[in-house]
Amino acid sequence: MNLTARNAVIVARREYTWRVRSRTFVISTLLLMALGIAGAAAPILITLFVKNTAAQVGLYAPTASGQGSVSVDLAALLTANANPDPKNPSIVVVPVDDLDVARQEVVSGQLAGVLAVAPTGQPGEYGWTYYDNGSPFGQTKLRVQQTVNATAFQVRMLAAGLTPAQIVQASTPPEVSFEPADPSKTAGEGPSATGFGLGFGMTVIIFIAILVYGQWIAMSVAEEKSSRVMEVVLNAASPFQLLAGKVVGVGAVGFTQYAAVAVPALIVLLLQPTLESVILGTTGNASGPATELAAVLTPQLVIVFGAFFVLGFALYAVLYAGIASLVSRQEDLNPLIGPLTMVATLGYLLAAWTMAGLIVLPPAIVDLLSYVPFLSPYLMLARYAAGQAGDLEALIALVILAASTLVALWFAARLYSAGVLLYGQRPSVRNLIAILRSAG
Amino acid sequence: MSLVFDQLRKRFGTVQALDGISFNVDPHQVFGFLGANGAGKTTAMRIALDILRADSGTVTWQGRDSTELPRRTWGYLPEERGLYPRMQVLDQLVFFASLYGIARGEARREALAWLARFRIPDYATRRAEELSKGNQQKVQFIAAILHDPEVLIMDEPFTGLDPVNVALLKQAFLEMRDRGKTIVFSTHQMEMAEELCDAVAIIDHGQLVVSGPTRDVKRESGKQMVRLAVADDADIPWLADVPGVHVTRPGRDYTELEVAQGIDPESVLEAARERGERVTLFEIADPTLEQIFVERVGAAPPSEEERTLAAPVAPGAGS
Repeated sequence: MNLTARNAVIVARREYTWRVRSRTFVISTLLLMALGIAGAAAPILITLFVKNTAAQVGLYAPTASGQGSVSVDLAALLTANANPDPKNPSIVVVPVDDLDVARQEVVSGQLAGVLAVAPTGQPGEYGWTYYDNGSPFGQTKLRVQQTVNATAFQVRMLAAGLTPAQIVQASTPPEVSFEPADPSKTAGEGPSATGFGLGFGMTVIIFIAILVYGQWIAMSVAEEKSSRVMEVVLNAASPFQLLAGKVVGVGAVGFTQYAAVAVPALIVLLLQPTLESVILGTTGNASGPATELAAVLTPQLVIVFGAFFVLGFALYAVLYAGIASLVSRQEDLNPLIGPLTMVATLGYLLAAWTMAGLIVLPPAIVDLLSYVPFLSPYLMLARYAAGQAGDLEALIALVILAASTLVALWFAARLYSAGVLLYGQRPSVRNLIAILRSAG
Repeated sequence: MSLVFDQLRKRFGTVQALDGISFNVDPHQVFGFLGANGAGKTTAMRIALDILRADSGTVTWQGRDSTELPRRTWGYLPEERGLYPRMQVLDQLVFFASLYGIARGEARREALAWLARFRIPDYATRRAEELSKGNQQKVQFIAAILHDPEVLIMDEPFTGLDPVNVALLKQAFLEMRDRGKTIVFSTHQMEMAEELCDAVAIIDHGQLVVSGPTRDVKRESGKQMVRLAVADDADIPWLADVPGVHVTRPGRDYTELEVAQGIDPESVLEAARERGERVTLFEIADPTLEQIFVERVGAAPPSEEERTLAAPVAPGAGS
């Protein structure tokens, strides 16, 4: 082992053992582990503790006697329309006799809402009023609206003299076939919902690693400078060795924490069907999230994810370290590393928003952006996981990323070797250029 | 073969920190590096250690350029002391030593032995931030020598120590010299340099004022000093009447005079006898380093208080 590698390993080992042994690290890791397991077990826990009770909706429909109305079983129609899956009803329609009493029951929480239906005199036409306590999310409202739409349509059809069979036929939605515009692609290949979700999750993991552990590195450099231990270490090890050791050491700490959180959570996730049958006594759903995940999480994807993770983290981490070497005190750190954090955040948001369709960019632009080194760990990875980018595209992005990381390493090492001895000066752009020029 | 500083130049922005400094340090010597705050001492030391690069000029040790020497050649005690505040003392000593290639077990043994020697064996498992300044400095000294370097470069090693610890450190210094190490240290305490240094260099504003064996530096100044004390009279007022003599240090214990060149110092003794004084001390001495410093640099070296008040302005431009 040559000297550079040996010293970098020694620096990394100090960084690692010192951090992993610290009380803050142990406590925060245990907390995150608990959160991870809880998150993975959440579906089971929710079904265990929260009984899936359907919302009780009152139906107030005074008989429209003497108005020549069609006699219709509104309650049955509404129930059928509200619950496409009769085995698992979400709305139970309860006929009520007194609207005022029913409204009071809504206020007191016994009913989710009351639907009042008033004949208008026209055959098949009713006035619909829904009373509830108002909810900011309006999910029930939306469901009520859809149910009423379908019911009113059927009632009108009945009034027009159609038979129930004809109505069913008339209201069956046609099947739409979705095909890719690119003739070289066949339907079915390409974006999958699980792959999309997985890619999204992976970008979150990379984003958090860059943000949390990148800033740890910056703080660690600033601490060495402010405690003036830097000069002692500098006589023993070169700036490059220090820089490399720090990035590897803190990176390993981050990996340890991730593994500690992810492994138990994944085990719980994979055991979900078994746990479900044990705890809930029901037979596990064969196509649970774990099986879906296993189908999408191919070895290639794992490798591509690992490569983007390591290189993307390294790119940001060396820059965090290089920039942090310019401050004299830890308080000065934040304004200086702010821009880098912003780049990391914007890159992540760009990927998340583009993938979720919140911002629509021309495909050519998205394609181009996913090769940009600061963005590719998010954007190219997400597109690859969702099946929007192929192996070759991912490989090219990775090569560009690796090359940029090397350039960043060179840049950061130069910054570092000059910055570590810079005390009491406010780092300005002009200063920075002078430093880069003078650095040996 | 010696440690050679050859025509070192280094500029920080508008400050010419070093302006062509050259001097030699013979091996197995204790060498004092004297200069006022901002004279360029720290910069020269950092260049020797290859922490900074000179604009021009070289530093060589036994004929090899300092940039090519293995790091473990050097032991360095920087002026700004620094330890990892939240790391245990023994752990960090082992860390530093292992960076120089010392096996962990050996580093551990040596570190514990030195801690015992400096009378702080119980602090091995304490965190550095829990130690007093003086004890931190002892740990720092151990960190500088644990890997058994050939050359020790120490920036103001005695600053901030109490007399007991100064004595301990002096002892360690001399032992290091006896083990064949070459020691270069900067100081503003002239008595310390006087006591310990085989040779000195005085620099001012990045330029060498004088360098060489301590005795030669003193003799070359051409000054003749006389220390005189007489019974029952601390003021000795008649000295003002003796030609070619002027008092440089009046004192209750003795009076120090400078005798002009060409005048025999013995004439002072004769003058005393003529006046019937009972002489209790008469000593012909070389000038002190402090006197030479004042004469050559123009002002007394800064006091410790002034030093701490002066903030560093540019990297490495400290004393």
